[in-house]
Amino acid sequence: MTGRPRPFVRGGLAAGLAVLVTLGLLLAAGAPPLRTLGVMAVSSLGSPTALLRTLSTLTPLLLCGAAVSVTFAANLWNIGIEGQIILGAVCCQGWLMACDPAGALPPAVCLTLSLAAAMAGGAAWALLAGVLRTHGRVHEIFSGLGLNFVALGINLWLILGPWQRPGMASLSGTVPLPEAFRLPALGGQPMSLVGLGLAVAAYVGVFWLLRRSFFGLTLAAVRQNPQAAALLGLAPKRRLLAAMAICGALAGLTGGLLVTGLYHRLIPSISGKYGYMAMLAALLASLRLPYLPLACLFFAALTVGGIQLPLELSLDSSLAGVIQGVMVLTLCTAGRLWPTASRRQP
Amino acid sequence: MEVQLSHIVKRFGTVTANDDVSLTLAAGRIYGLLGENGAGKSTLMRVLCGLTPPDAGSLTVDGRVLARLTPRLAATNGIGLLPQDPLDFPPLRVWENFALGGDRVLGRREARARLAAGCRRLGIALPPDVPVATLTVAERQYLELARLADRGVRLLVLDEPTTGISPVQKEALFAALRAFVADGDRLVILVTHKLAEARELCDAVAVLRRGRLVGTFATPLDAPAILAAMFENAPDAPADVPPSPAGRPRPEAAPLLRLDDVTFADATTRLARLSLTVRPGEIVGLAGIAGGGQETLLRGLAGLIPAVSGRLAVAGRNLAGRSPGRFLRAGVRYLPAARLEQGLFPGLTLTDHVRLAFPTYRRTAHSLFHTRCVEQFHLADQPDAPAAALSGGNQQRLLLSLVPDDVALLLADNPTRGLDIASVAHIWGHLRRRAAAGTTVLFASEDLDEIMRRAERILVFFDRRLVADLPGLSPTPENARYLGDLMTGRAIEGDAA
Repeated sequence: MTGRPRPFVRGGLAAGLAVLVTLGLLLAAGAPPLRTLGVMAVSSLGSPTALLRTLSTLTPLLLCGAAVSVTFAANLWNIGIEGQIILGAVCCQGWLMACDPAGALPPAVCLTLSLAAAMAGGAAWALLAGVLRTHGRVHEIFSGLGLNFVALGINLWLILGPWQRPGMASLSGTVPLPEAFRLPALGGQPMSLVGLGLAVAAYVGVFWLLRRSFFGLTLAAVRQNPQAAALLGLAPKRRLLAAMAICGALAGLTGGLLVTGLYHRLIPSISGKYGYMAMLAALLASLRLPYLPLACLFFAALTVGGIQLPLELSLDSSLAGVIQGVMVLTLCTAGRLWPTASRRQP
Repeated sequence: MEVQLSHIVKRFGTVTANDDVSLTLAAGRIYGLLGENGAGKSTLMRVLCGLTPPDAGSLTVDGRVLARLTPRLAATNGIGLLPQDPLDFPPLRVWENFALGGDRVLGRREARARLAAGCRRLGIALPPDVPVATLTVAERQYLELARLADRGVRLLVLDEPTTGISPVQKEALFAALRAFVADGDRLVILVTHKLAEARELCDAVAVLRRGRLVGTFATPLDAPAILAAMFENAPDAPADVPPSPAGRPRPEAAPLLRLDDVTFADATTRLARLSLTVRPGEIVGLAGIAGGGQETLLRGLAGLIPAVSGRLAVAGRNLAGRSPGRFLRAGVRYLPAARLEQGLFPGLTLTDHVRLAFPTYRRTAHSLFHTRCVEQFHLADQPDAPAAALSGGNQQRLLLSLVPDDVALLLADNPTRGLDIASVAHIWGHLRRRAAAGTTVLFASEDLDEIMRRAERILVFFDRRLVADLPGLSPTPENARYLGDLMTGRAIEGDAA
């Protein structure tokens, strides 16, 4: 292997390039460049509290990253993941609103079933885009984008309409869930660490699915050559739908965790753009599963660090998003400079 | 014009495609560059046309040494290439294509006048106002020929130009090439792996083998000597024995395949209504020029193009309108012509291919790969190599090895296109054995020789319809001409051969 840097080297190089570009941007914005980066680093990784906050942000990112890895493995651009998160959250909230905390079902069972409902909702929403792709010849990017708006609309209509707080419709969301229907907030953290455990489990599961299982091999086959897959009787359409369903289920689970573990209610911006961010993270990891957690952690740190910028330096927190975008763009450029060897496995 | 190639060396990794090749070419003559697939012919011609920079060696045109040849520099020195697939713009009209592709785009009036003049000089006819997409491969070659001649090309390289054209069209092409060199200042290099063509057209022949120039021959061309130079070892003899003219008659067997008034059609292609029965174990060759309908029949029989009318039965089961999966379960397999692009997974390993093709044996895929692919099909024992690393011959062997032994109907689109002679012999040996065991084999080929030598029965297609259903023919020039006339609509079935 000479002359072909490994993804790790390429990632590092892209990171360096991105830092340079970011420093230039900061200078242009009139901010002290190095201090800005320092503030972001300290406030995301510099203390146990900061680290926990970063880990909470990592939860939805890693879950969604694992989700889009499945669709990327089938060469699908599941841009509709945002809508799938929202539908998951909606289904989860709907289920819990129908449950009675003092009812026949123990709250833990209600809670577990609410996450199952979230997964079903996300999977159904993803299958909608999938069927449009396999049977309606609508590319999943377009259907996904369209369905995202529909999901946003449903969410907003529920919050301001049928599920509004008694007496007032408010953009601050629905009535908070009863204590029994919240995931345990271990250590008083904003995001329940149960979610992090589920995210890690999902990542490991997806890793096994794509790298070790026969299903993963058939997905790789469909990605590489749908025609040949059809000739071998691998039913490429069914595989694509399965990939969409798995991705949608994990996205829905993310939505459910955001409801039960973080916000404890349905809010208008429930998806938090974690879906898009996870796609960027997957791209930053060059679509290689082993690098995905690192990319997600990096994005989580950037996001958490960005929140401190307005407080300490009177800078807008959107700077974190700018850095994330710049990072992926520079990596794609770096990828152009060094074409990767053939990607056998995601 | 005199062209000298001196000590050309070109390596790709560990493969030496051209190993110290030196050639001198004089004006007014037609040269043949012969060799098996992979002998280095195309690489040498790409070096000559400036498309591939050589690792060593030089090129001299009319006494001037051309260092660092680029396609543009080659063009200004009058070197032009007519590739196997003409590089034209199918939606544009003939004269528009003629007007493009030089330094300056010609105006309408000028382009049409120069096109007419060029056609007259080469003795060809081209309708200027039709889209190129409607032309035959031969006509597209004429267009390229006229264009290159018009743009001052004096050294014309043709890469396997007779693939996919009929014998009559071939004769017209050769006549045009003779007209091209008639003024004594120009020359032609014909790249081919067919000795008969070279003997028909060329004044001199150079033979490459494994990247080395192993001989040059002048007229009269001595066939045995040239063949000995092309092939170190004689190809496997047994597989080359033509089938007995009567084939293996099994009139008592119930037909495996039965088509009653079937029309195949999808958004892009169509095959006129046909009826047909084929018995188990028959080897049927499909002849036709590109787009004649033979590919449509193969894809239709695989369920990839739907039968929109009629009844299509395989072993008595009606499959018309069913999904490709149903065809697979009925024991139908299709081997596409574009092996790597349509049949294999370039980045997956050979073992992964075995796993995907035989899911029930996926746990023991390694040993299955060994017993089946290596021992039976003579693939190199590289279970972890990606399919993209295989040569064309090995790709076809892999594809064949993935077909289960008990299939009823094997549909092969140009199963030996571009393969070296040893692979061709191996693949035909395998297809024969399958047929002897009862598998029906339908194959399409652009090579009429292959069809006459291998098929027990020949179906001829012209203009998207089945025009003739013939018993096997012996491989004579008269029969080739007859088939060619049927393929191009110049004869109908029953005309004397």
